Amino acid sequence: MPKLTIDNREVEVDNGATILDAAGKLRIEIPTMCFLKGYKALTSCMVCLVKVNGLGGFVPSCGTIVQDGMRVESDSEEVRQARRAALELLLSDHLGDCIGPCQTTCPARMNIPLMIRQIAAGKLRDAIATVKKDIALPAVLGRICPKPCERACRRAAFDDAVSICLLKRYVADIDLQSANPYLPPCKPRQGKRVAIVGAGPAGLAAAYYLTLDGFRCTLFDEHESAGGGLRYAVSEEQLPRDVLDKEIALIEKLGVQFQGQTRIGTALSMEDLRSDFDAVFVAVGELKAGGPAWMGLETGPNGIVINRKTYETNLAGVFAGGDAVRKRRLAVRAVADGKEAAVSISQYLSGRVITGATKAFNTHIGKLKNGEIEKFIAGASKTPRVSLHPRKRVPAQEDYGFTDEQARDEAARCLHCDCRKAETCKLRQYAHDYGARPGRYKGERRTFVQLPSHPDVIYEPGKCIDCGLCIQITSKAGETLGLTFIGRGFDVRVAVPFGRSIAEGLKRVASQCVAACPTGALAFKVKS
Amino acid sequence: MDELNLTFVDQAVEKIGTGREKVLEILQAVQDHFRYLPGEALQRVCELTEITPASIAGVSTFYSQFRHHPAGRHTIRVCIGTACHVKGGGQVYDAFKRQLGIGEEEDTDPQKLFTVEKVACLGCCMLAPVIQIQARAIQIDNITYGHLSSEQVPVVLRDFLEQEKARPVRIEHRLTPDRVAGEIRICLDSSCVASGSARVYEALKKAVEETSAQAVVKSVGCSGMSFLAPLVEVLLPGGTSFRYAKVLPEDARAIVLRHFKPEQIGRKIRNAVSTMLDKILTDKAWEPVTRYSVDVRDQPVAAFLDKQRHIATEHCGGIDPVDLDEYLLNDGFKALQKCVKELSPQEVITAIERSGLRGRGGAGFPTYLKWSAVHHRGSAKKYVICNGDEGDPGAFMDRMLMESFPYRIIEGMAIAAYAVGADEGYFYIRAEYPLAIKRMTEAINNCRRRGFLGNNIMRDSALREPESGFSLHLEIAVGAGAFVCGEETALMASIEGRRGMPRLRPPYPAQSGLWDKPTLINNVETYAVVPWIIRNGPEAFAKLGTGTSKGTKVFALAGKVTRGGLIEVPMGISIRRIVENIGGGIAGGLRLKAVQVGGPSGGCVPAELAHISVDYEALNEVGAMMGSGGMVALDESDCMVDIARYFLDFTQNQSCGKCTFCRIGTRRMLDILERLCEGRGRKGDIEELEHLAQMVQNASLCGLGRTAPNPVLSTIKYFRDEYQAHLEKRCPAGKCKALITYSVTDDCIGCSLCAQHCPADAIEMQPYQKHEIDTDKCIRCGTCRSVCPTDAIKVE
Repeated sequence: MPKLTIDNREVEVDNGATILDAAGKLRIEIPTMCFLKGYKALTSCMVCLVKVNGLGGFVPSCGTIVQDGMRVESDSEEVRQARRAALELLLSDHLGDCIGPCQTTCPARMNIPLMIRQIAAGKLRDAIATVKKDIALPAVLGRICPKPCERACRRAAFDDAVSICLLKRYVADIDLQSANPYLPPCKPRQGKRVAIVGAGPAGLAAAYYLTLDGFRCTLFDEHESAGGGLRYAVSEEQLPRDVLDKEIALIEKLGVQFQGQTRIGTALSMEDLRSDFDAVFVAVGELKAGGPAWMGLETGPNGIVINRKTYETNLAGVFAGGDAVRKRRLAVRAVADGKEAAVSISQYLSGRVITGATKAFNTHIGKLKNGEIEKFIAGASKTPRVSLHPRKRVPAQEDYGFTDEQARDEAARCLHCDCRKAETCKLRQYAHDYGARPGRYKGERRTFVQLPSHPDVIYEPGKCIDCGLCIQITSKAGETLGLTFIGRGFDVRVAVPFGRSIAEGLKRVASQCVAACPTGALAFKVKS
Repeated sequence: MDELNLTFVDQAVEKIGTGREKVLEILQAVQDHFRYLPGEALQRVCELTEITPASIAGVSTFYSQFRHHPAGRHTIRVCIGTACHVKGGGQVYDAFKRQLGIGEEEDTDPQKLFTVEKVACLGCCMLAPVIQIQARAIQIDNITYGHLSSEQVPVVLRDFLEQEKARPVRIEHRLTPDRVAGEIRICLDSSCVASGSARVYEALKKAVEETSAQAVVKSVGCSGMSFLAPLVEVLLPGGTSFRYAKVLPEDARAIVLRHFKPEQIGRKIRNAVSTMLDKILTDKAWEPVTRYSVDVRDQPVAAFLDKQRHIATEHCGGIDPVDLDEYLLNDGFKALQKCVKELSPQEVITAIERSGLRGRGGAGFPTYLKWSAVHHRGSAKKYVICNGDEGDPGAFMDRMLMESFPYRIIEGMAIAAYAVGADEGYFYIRAEYPLAIKRMTEAINNCRRRGFLGNNIMRDSALREPESGFSLHLEIAVGAGAFVCGEETALMASIEGRRGMPRLRPPYPAQSGLWDKPTLINNVETYAVVPWIIRNGPEAFAKLGTGTSKGTKVFALAGKVTRGGLIEVPMGISIRRIVENIGGGIAGGLRLKAVQVGGPSGGCVPAELAHISVDYEALNEVGAMMGSGGMVALDESDCMVDIARYFLDFTQNQSCGKCTFCRIGTRRMLDILERLCEGRGRKGDIEELEHLAQMVQNASLCGLGRTAPNPVLSTIKYFRDEYQAHLEKRCPAGKCKALITYSVTDDCIGCSLCAQHCPADAIEMQPYQKHEIDTDKCIRCGTCRSVCPTDAIKVE
């Protein structure tokens, strides 16, 4: 039985075993995309590359048979660089948005398409959980948000954008009005305490997420009630106070302490906070010129100077966010700041390296070419944007929002631009792991195509990396038509023979193909 | 649309068979019949055979020979091989499309008369730029036109349509074994036919008949002297020979009368063997298309032949390619006989080892090691394969060997089969070489009939031996337009009826090859030298060449040299010697800039390194590669970035598409090169290109991808300043269309020729005045420059 070393660790394997098998034995993880146990190694994706002494260049570990005495490098910088290059090349010819453009544009990165799918399925409790994962005050924002997401909505190229903001408000209102509004479980309490200065949207959001993470938060505010600018700068007509009160009450219900009429600098000093608390988050809203330099915080033209990734200020353990740190003032941005600063604060408090919130890896289609929007529309409802019923609108008062039926109709208009396999896509996962840059190699991009003929499965050739697994699966299963490679070289595509439909090609093993497909090229139409 | 009559499909399947491996053959038959592959026909094939829809759809779209849409009545195939590229093949292609009114995305004219397509290489590099017209009517052969330029396109189309009406005679082989009379020899291989040798052959036969001359007109294997084609050699009884270069059909009668007039027998000019007589061009009818000079005398021939050593091309220009008797008279099959009768397989392998022979397909792997590996496999079934899928643009050695010396290759292959213990084999020949396929087929059939192939080869009937114990069955597999099939694992996949996708090695073919059996694959030239080695002894072969590269190597010498042709030289000769002595230096007074060696897997050797010798290691060291032996001389007017782009465009186009680095990596490299050539280069592009090239080189799955960056890396290495210039939107050689402008200098005499020929109406006719070029209308086709009698067109 041949012996080899991988990263200087020796292992013995059966005759005929591959380097990948050997790595598995050593629990060394090697990324693979075109490899599936039980099928012939295709050696096409080349992300499983390793270096073997004596062999020139790199070899794919999935198909390379172990020879006695091999010395394999699987984790050197050189190998990582080659894998990254493979991923970057694949990404350069991979057409799709991992995350919907709406979500990419939302400062809080709320998973809008998921929320809409949940609304469409009538799963409103799931929908509020999705919303609150990123937005602590959705009923509030549902009324005052300038909705940048809707400007990015692809549907606008066809008729009008989906009413994302009203849908969010619908979800939040239904929740607030329910007997038992959604409160996510908090992690076990830790002893650490956080002082949050300013109970506006940023402070409230930070308090919400830090509390969920198990930290004890105290909100300090010079006003009597929490809400900051939401309460003192937004008109009641725009934002009825009962909505604001209810959402703040929910946050307080989680265990957040509110201490009003406390002005930092007079009642308490920054030094007091730093000694009494384990961390401080400054979210005092718009700074007056020459503002809080006295707090010992460095300021610049835009407010308090922070590290844009981590929200750290010049003082250790003191973070800042919201309108206090930026010129362009947006409640949704403030809410996002609160959420993101909470991540850094949590890292700081648990003694980890402060990296800030990790940005999910994303590829972008960008601007659509002529005729492509029609492909997107194919699977969606063609009805126009639902407008609120004028009769239900009380003058000088807020309107009532969507009815259940309207919400469902509007939800059906969503094109679901996000990838159906965003969470399971191996290309995305590895691209993230290896720090691959999707824009490294720019070339002419593929044309967007969506083939929805199959009842359960959708095929997006633009996302296919030509690995050939589905072709092997259909061939092995004896599908009458199955799938095949059409063409050669750069233009090769996976398709059903004779131009027939995916429904005809995948009669028996559609779900196996979806499971094996390493990207979102083959996916279930409806996420399970 | 009319319903398609599919009876033909049924008949074809009936004839060819129903196995999965028959898919290529069936597709070829279907396409021959319908001139494209109708979907209904493919579905019918699936109903009748074991071939699955996935297989037929995958295979028929993999090979570029197959069309899925109806084609025009005739097909114009424009060669864009290296030699044609550097001499303006791309512009000829554009000119045909323009002349026929074919749109950008189309390939067929509105009347459906002509389909215009690019082909990788027609193997007629000395006639560059070359096109071939495949006629619909089976009565006429393909017609090849050489030395074209854009403005000759209308002449060619007119000429072709006239010929189609006239139905020229077919070439027949009728040999009179009367050796007493004189012989008039002419080569009828593809590139000589392209130069017009078929018509000369017919004219000579007619002349002999009419004058009752005591002579036989004989088609012979190629002498390699393509720069003189059509070359006629008159061999008189007694051994005196006369050569006539660039003969026209109308010269035939004069040549025959000169040597075979009964009353003039006494007036034989006793001259040296390679004497050449002046010849007179009387008719200029063909002049616009092929412009030959008349002053070719014996000096060039002597120089051309001087340094050559004919082993693979032994008896070149002397024997009839498909005449088995003549092959036998010239020691044919003696080597095989010696092996079967006197040597054990191991002894044969030892002889090959002692000869130092290395694979001539490109990589230079020691031949004996391959043979030995297959020999030692304990398998009852083994195969031998001859790789005749020579696809490098700018290389046609293997084509010429197959067309001129088919028996020699068969013999070499039989010896190999004997040595490794194989009893079955395939010739894999690319479809672009119809004459090679025809002659190999004929030669195999003749061998079968005469017992040189089949069961019990070399059985001594005189000794009443019941069997010799050695059997070999050979078949021909025809490729379908995929360069990657030159890669051995892809080639085997193709024979098995699959898409020609390479796979990871090991296992090597010697371990698990065709149908998973141990298989020996060698290149045409490798097999072709084997009989010589056996007959003359391995030491004689090893005496030639350098320490690590033994024997000779056949090269296709083309590009900007004065005398292009097919040459066989001893290893170790310097590149400069080939270019200067054999090739006669650079034509047209320009200086040698670089020599591209090894085609798309090779690299450019700059003029200052031309002293290096032709051997595997020396070439690798400078970033080139022996490859299969294309050698294209480049002069100062050639842009090295354009050359790199050209080769990468080729390999990128030929990538099978399997592995990420080759499929996408070469495309991204090409993106950068295209940007540079179009003046859209960005800062850092050269470094990014180098980085990508190294990645593709180190991480691609097969040889195609691993060597594809060579032309790019070698040109960056030696001509980095040219890359830099392109970043600054300059093309120093004046080649890259987007970076150059055409203008008229004060040398203009106002002859108006440029205005008359300009296909884009960019020059207004102003007799006796200096002409001007409208840069906005100018398409940079170079026509004005080529017609200007005073060199008054400037390109910057």
